[in-house]
Amino acid sequence: MSYVFFPGCSLDGTAKDFHRSTLAVAAKLGLDLPELKDWICCGSTAAHSTDPLLADALPAKSLASAGGATVAVACASCYSRLKMANHHIAADRALRARVARVVGGDYNGLTPVRHLLEILCREIGLARIAQTIRRPLAGLKVACYYGCLLTRPPEITNFDDAENPTLMDRLMETAGATPLEWPHKTECCGASYSITDASIVLELSNEILAMAKAAGADCIATACPLCQLNLDMRQQDIEARFGRRYHLPVFYFTQLLGLAMGCPAEDLSLGSLVVEPQELLAAKGIAC
Amino acid sequence: MSAATVATIEIEDVGGLAGEVNARGGARPMSCFQCAKCSSGCPVASRADLKPHEVVRMVQLDQREAVLTSRFIWECTSCQTCSTRCPQQVDPAAMNDALRAISRAARKVAAGTAVPAFNDIFLDAVRRRGRIYEMGLMVRFKLRTRRLFEDIGKAPMMLLKRKLPLMGPHVGGKAGRKAMFRRAAQGGDQ
Repeated sequence: MSYVFFPGCSLDGTAKDFHRSTLAVAAKLGLDLPELKDWICCGSTAAHSTDPLLADALPAKSLASAGGATVAVACASCYSRLKMANHHIAADRALRARVARVVGGDYNGLTPVRHLLEILCREIGLARIAQTIRRPLAGLKVACYYGCLLTRPPEITNFDDAENPTLMDRLMETAGATPLEWPHKTECCGASYSITDASIVLELSNEILAMAKAAGADCIATACPLCQLNLDMRQQDIEARFGRRYHLPVFYFTQLLGLAMGCPAEDLSLGSLVVEPQELLAAKGIAC
Repeated sequence: MSAATVATIEIEDVGGLAGEVNARGGARPMSCFQCAKCSSGCPVASRADLKPHEVVRMVQLDQREAVLTSRFIWECTSCQTCSTRCPQQVDPAAMNDALRAISRAARKVAAGTAVPAFNDIFLDAVRRRGRIYEMGLMVRFKLRTRRLFEDIGKAPMMLLKRKLPLMGPHVGGKAGRKAMFRRAAQGGDQ
């Protein structure tokens, strides 16, 4: 299968480490991820809470230019918006015509969209990934955190079980780590309220960090730039606000997988993590 | 249509706020039977002025003022838990999107919420640049809402961690994008 990569805006900014580690992991697998040319922002929550037509038109503009390839997505929010637009456009001829007039060309809503986790676990397959593991993450207890938009709403994203997804858990297991059973896999971190009303993020992300800690996690693995930013960059604020001490490194799952594959630390941008993971990795004997 | 086909009644087509919400984004508030499953799973229900099942009920009863001025519609994180768990396919998340737009159009937005300003700045950046430059977005938002010093301490760390590139992206086709936004604002009609 051939893919084009839709990185999304965050992967060129605050989630540059997600971008780099994705490409590092892809290189180890011989997975070609050329960037979709001239992709534009999916519109995110700003578009869907302002104008539903614009929220479908922005993804349609990018998806129409994929030329038949499957669009690979890393960001959970982009993934949700691209899938939502496809779902709306493919099911509603009148809407399809309106979107065509807005975008200036017809789009049928049928360009396949896949998240990296789906591509790795389902299309490449865990057996093949297992063959690329050089330094198993033995003894590392990982709380796999999926956030909201990969799984919900399930009839649109079709990603995994909406209440208890396991794709990332199985991937981490393949990388030699120990994924934990814990109840907050799909709780909301507060998303973009980090900018408009940080108190929401502090409250919600505190619940997630507290639960991961209580479950015995050494670290958290994420698949969304906003989740990662809220749990990592706001962790100190959360500790101060609630008088707790977590010190939980918050990785992108691609960083952990890359470590297990033997990628050098700089290719995984581990230096971008605010809660520094070096001490934990050294204690677990995971070289980086 | 065969004689055996039972006629269905479209209960969402009732006019009022419920009808408007349905027409704008497909939510089905009239189908709600108040099981409150939405509120049980809602991450902001405990802090907001209203709970999701209460908002749905008020929409059914056409209580425009109370709904459109509520803080809840601006504190919803669009996490989609309510819409996923609703046994009646009400889609409260889509209902909230419609209510936000109706609230803005009616100039009823709850005092103190910064979300509409953020959304405007965000979409304006997409229109002009094609992509979001996070640092530029934050600076413009903080200037607009006069919160200049909130989180300012994070800036040096973010630069050091290379989370903020110094240059923003630009995608070509600005004129086409502006036309696209204009046509969307007109509803995509001919």
